[in-house]
Amino acid sequence: MTDAGAILVADRVRTRLGGHWLHRGVSFSIRPGEVVALIGASGTGKSVLLRECIGLHRPSGGHLRLFGEDVWALPARRLGEIRARYGVLFQEGALFSSLTVAENVAVPLREHAELPPRLRDEVVTMKIRLAGLPMEAAHKRPSELSGGMKKRAALARALALEPELLFLDEPTSGLDPISAREFDHLLRVLCDSLGLTALIATHDLDSLWGMVDRVIVLYAGEVIADGPVASVSALDHPWIQSYFAAHSGGRT
Amino acid sequence: MMPPGLTREADAGRYLLRLRGCWCIGHLVEVDALFADLPLPDGQRVHLDAAAVERLDGTGVMILVNRLRAMGVVWPEVVLEHFAPAQLTLIHLIADRLDARAPPPSRREPVLARLGRLGAQAQTGLLAHVEFLGRLVEAGGELIRHPRRLRHRELVTQVRAVGLGALPIIMLMTFLVGIVFAFLLGIQVQKFGANIFVVDGIGLAVARELSPLLTAILVAGRSGAAFTAQIGAMKVTEEIDAIATLGLSPIQVLVLPRLIAIVIALPLLTFVGDVMGILGAALVAASQLDVGYYTFFDRLRAVLPVNTVLFGLSKAPVFAAAIAFIACRNGFAVSRDARSVGARTTATVVQSLVAVILINALFAVLHPENPQ
Repeated sequence: MTDAGAILVADRVRTRLGGHWLHRGVSFSIRPGEVVALIGASGTGKSVLLRECIGLHRPSGGHLRLFGEDVWALPARRLGEIRARYGVLFQEGALFSSLTVAENVAVPLREHAELPPRLRDEVVTMKIRLAGLPMEAAHKRPSELSGGMKKRAALARALALEPELLFLDEPTSGLDPISAREFDHLLRVLCDSLGLTALIATHDLDSLWGMVDRVIVLYAGEVIADGPVASVSALDHPWIQSYFAAHSGGRT
Repeated sequence: MMPPGLTREADAGRYLLRLRGCWCIGHLVEVDALFADLPLPDGQRVHLDAAAVERLDGTGVMILVNRLRAMGVVWPEVVLEHFAPAQLTLIHLIADRLDARAPPPSRREPVLARLGRLGAQAQTGLLAHVEFLGRLVEAGGELIRHPRRLRHRELVTQVRAVGLGALPIIMLMTFLVGIVFAFLLGIQVQKFGANIFVVDGIGLAVARELSPLLTAILVAGRSGAAFTAQIGAMKVTEEIDAIATLGLSPIQVLVLPRLIAIVIALPLLTFVGDVMGILGAALVAASQLDVGYYTFFDRLRAVLPVNTVLFGLSKAPVFAAAIAFIACRNGFAVSRDARSVGARTTATVVQSLVAVILINALFAVLHPENPQ
């Protein structure tokens, strides 16, 4: 595995959680512009791994390097600077429920970009439109939005600061298949045109086939496969086989 | 990184803009300023040249698209030169998405409209209160017909939380208030050399007013807020809907045990408050007013009829029922967002304090005389 030029590197990450080892040495790297999916059974620690990458949960061992810097060795101020360079889409959206969609998107801009209010509003409008939301949604509270619109609003907030890297935790969970495919398509378009790198923890097989460049499989605390979807799905491993067989009806 | 720049070259019907430097969010204010005194293209065909651009991100493209549109440039007719393929996709995406102008943010409501909306809200709120009361009475009636449906375990847990949990703070508060009250009253009666009458004042004040009121206020702040937050959090996580779909009544499961628990616990706490308040006063009387413990309690038995104590205690269940009703009602009124839990909890404390003081006033008006 070559780490040169990689935007995110996990180096033998180990995590002990609740008395047992969740990750026993997870290593992978992601190069700029790649859209990578992280799959694995429930409870294999996909979300925990994401949280470790974004500096929310300290791994028990190993290193995580974002933009070439070790996330867990950085002083708080430097971590704050790095945080402005990536966006996170949480599983339930994690929109601030007391703010409207437009105010939610404006939060990172207020904190990290010194923009006059007029320009900030313009940026907020652009992000909301870019995430495929109608402008009527801008002045609604998250509780007034459907699941798909919430995800889009959360995406608009994640993209607010023009990040280079996007972390997505189950972006299509809780969406109907049509909305899920539309969201995948939107993500792919945005990643291509904005030059984004994305790491997506997902369960959704259709997302895998439809939009990712590479897939990383977590199993029993280790990466058991790492490569393009087609080659990973052909691997002879019981979990991978049953995972890809689960949805192969009607697909070849 | 190079700051952004823009130079215009006009020749032979061509309106050429050369972009350079970093057109990105970190330099957005400078990018915006570049367009400030740009002359209008006047029907010339606009050409953009990105040969010297270092970085171009979504916000940079946004400024480019929006400012040129504001100058009357029809976007698809712009000629783009030397842009990278990814930049071209980005420009097309953003130009496409930004076609619709944003509607202006919602205007402030006129005062009259707001007043009307508040009135309508008050009406629905009041109706919801009445409805909740109805459901509560219905569930209570059912409980009387089938007493075995009472959730004993929940009731015991709640009595422990509301009663035992509040015991130390109630004891401390009433004891301190007894001390302060006896001290201040003592200064007054000493002027007349009527030290022994401090017992009359303390007995009446503590048993009739101070202890019931103070205890109710403490319990309203402590348990009322807890009820609202507990029920509200369950509402947010849809646990209440789960209870209903399992064929149970949320009122039976959540409200009645709390209501009964607080109605049981508050009179008990009030009695403890009576005792502690009088103990505090006795301490002051013995140390400051030359009224010994024996004299104090002898006098107390003579001047404090048991009816006065019972009158004070009889207020407690009414306070308790009001607190439980307000707290549970507010818990059920929580909507599914984080701020609502806080707003409702605040409402519980304020409303139940007001209710306690109003009910207390009502008691005072109905029984102005010390019942003998």
